Amino acid sequence: MSKPVLVVGGGPAGLSAARALADAGQAVVLVDKEDRLGGAPILSGYAKLVPSHEWAKDAIGGMVSGVEGHKMVTVKTGTKVDKFDGDPGNFVATLSDGSKVEASATILATGFTHFDSVNKPEWGFGTYPDVVTTTQVEQMLSTGAGVKCPSDGREPERVAILLCVGSRDRQIGREWCSKICCTVSANLAMEIREQLPNCNVYIYYMDIRTFGLYEGEYYWASQEEHKVKYIKARIAEVTSDGKRLLVKGEDTLVKRPISIPFDMVVHAVGMDPNVDNMTLSAIFNVDLNKYGYIGKPSTYAHMSETSRPGVFVAGAATGPETIDDSIAQGKAAAIAALISASSTVREAAE
Amino acid sequence: MPIHEKSLIRPENLVEHEELVIDGVDVSGHWSTFIEGRSVPDYNEQLQEEIAAIGGGENIHRCWQCGSCTNACTVNAINPDFNPRFWIYLIRMGLEEELVRDRDIIWQCVSCNKCTYACPRDVNPEGVMKATAHWLELKGYTEMKPSMVFDEEFSLQVFNTGKIEEGKVLQKFFKRTNQPLTQPWLVHLITGLVKRFPVFYLMKLGWGAVFHPRTRDWGRARDAINEYVEERNAEIHKALNLDAKGAD
Repeated sequence: MSKPVLVVGGGPAGLSAARALADAGQAVVLVDKEDRLGGAPILSGYAKLVPSHEWAKDAIGGMVSGVEGHKMVTVKTGTKVDKFDGDPGNFVATLSDGSKVEASATILATGFTHFDSVNKPEWGFGTYPDVVTTTQVEQMLSTGAGVKCPSDGREPERVAILLCVGSRDRQIGREWCSKICCTVSANLAMEIREQLPNCNVYIYYMDIRTFGLYEGEYYWASQEEHKVKYIKARIAEVTSDGKRLLVKGEDTLVKRPISIPFDMVVHAVGMDPNVDNMTLSAIFNVDLNKYGYIGKPSTYAHMSETSRPGVFVAGAATGPETIDDSIAQGKAAAIAALISASSTVREAAE
Repeated sequence: MPIHEKSLIRPENLVEHEELVIDGVDVSGHWSTFIEGRSVPDYNEQLQEEIAAIGGGENIHRCWQCGSCTNACTVNAINPDFNPRFWIYLIRMGLEEELVRDRDIIWQCVSCNKCTYACPRDVNPEGVMKATAHWLELKGYTEMKPSMVFDEEFSLQVFNTGKIEEGKVLQKFFKRTNQPLTQPWLVHLITGLVKRFPVFYLMKLGWGAVFHPRTRDWGRARDAINEYVEERNAEIHKALNLDAKGAD
C-alpha cells in the first residue's frame, strides 16, 4: 500500500482516525505533543462521560490501548510537527525529534483549549479559591477526592454552576456556543447531588442547549430526579462576604436583583481554539476560520477537508465538538484520507 | 429626581427623609425620594420540599417555566396578578418572601384544571395552587378560608359516618364561620320544600334529622381512614417543621 497517513493529535478524533485507518490496513504515524495519548478527556482528568456515563479513563483509555497495540500504528508522543511540505501522496513532515515522515495524507485532530476563566475576572476565578471550573470538578470526581471547597476542604452545601463562561460573549471575542457545557453541567450537577445529597445545586443559564438528544437524560433528569434548580440569569459578579461567595445578578423570571451566598461557584468553561492553531496554520498551510478554529468547507461535498488538498481535519479542531461526534469525524476523516491516498497511487500508476 | 412611575414601585420601598444631608448635600423632602433595593437575599431551600409534601404539590420540581398554566388560567384572564407559573418558580427557587406577598391572591384558584391539561410536564399546577393555599394556612400566613372549613366539615362527616347529611354540614359550616343559619336563600329553600314536598317525604326527612341513619359496619373503615389522615397530617407537619397543631 501507499505511504503512511500522518495523524496529528491523539485525542478521541485522532485515536478514532488512526484506529480506522489501521484496521483498513493503512499504516499510520500518530504524533501527539503530550507525553501520553488520550487528549483532553485523559489529560484533563474527566470523570464520567456524556452520554454513556462511562469513566473517561475506561472509555478513552480503551481507545488508546487499541491504537498503541496496533501493528499498523507508530505512536510518537512528546512530539510535534515542525515542518510539513509536499503534495498529496508525497508529503514530508519533519518532526521535533529530528525524524522525517513521508506521508500520503495527514489528518489534523489537534483539538481545543479550555477557556481560561481568568479572562472573566468579574466572576471571581483566580480571586477566590472556591470559584472553580467544570474541569476541576471533573477532576475532584475522577480522582475520588470528592467535591470539596478548595479553601478549607469543607463539603459545600450550596453550589452555583455558571453557564456560558467563555462562550456566547462578544465582550471577550467568543461568540460561539461551546455546545457541550450545558450537558456537562447537568451531568456534574447530578453527580454532585448524588455524592452530597444535602448539597443544593443551582444552574444559572441564558438558554439551555443540551445538544443532541440529551434533553431527557440530562436536562429533565437533573430536574426531576435530582432536583437541580435552573435559574435564568447571567451573573454580574461573584464577590465574597468574607465567609461565603456572593453571587450577584438578576433573576429575570422574577425581575429582581439577586445577591445570594454560595459555598462553591463552578464556571462551565467553554472550548477555545487550540492555542497552537496559529502555528499549526502556518506549518500545515491551512486556513483558520474567523474564530481561529481550523476552517472547513461545506460538509456536503468536502467532508473532513481543509483548505489544503491531502490535509484533513476532525474533531474539536474545527470548533466545539462532543466526544461522540469527534470520534465520528475521526472515522470520516480516515475514509477521506484513504480515498486521497489511493487516488494518488492510482494516478501515479496511470 | 422625581419618580414618574410610582405605581410600579411598592410603597414600602419609597423612602423620603424630611431632613437628610449626605456629604454636605441637602437631600431632604419630596425631591429626593429614594427607592429601596428589592434584591433577593437568599433561597429557602426547604420551600419546594414543603409544598411537595402537601397533597397536589408532589410534581412541582418538574416545572420548566413555559407558562402554559398561566396562559390557560381562568382566573388569570380576570386578574393578571394571578400567575401560577410565577408562584411555582418562587417556590422552586425558595423565594418565600416574594411568595407570601401574594397570599391574598393565591387561594383564588377555582380548580377548573385547564392548567392541568395544558402542562407539558405534568406538574399538576392546580394541585400546586391547592397545596400552596394550604401551606399558607398551615404556616399561619393566611386564615383558614371558608371553602377550606366547608371541605373539612364535609370530609369529617364522611370519614366518621360513611355518608353526608347536607343539613348537618351546612349547620356546622355556618357555625364555624360565624354565619347565621337563617340565610335568606336557605329559609326560602326550606319553606319551599315544606310547601311542596309530599308529607311522607317530609316525615322521613324529619325522622332522619332526629335519628341519624348509619352506615352498617362503618367502624373499621372509619378507623382506617382516620389513621391514614393522621399519618398524612403528621408527615405534612413534619415536612413544614410545625408542631402537631400547626403554626397557630
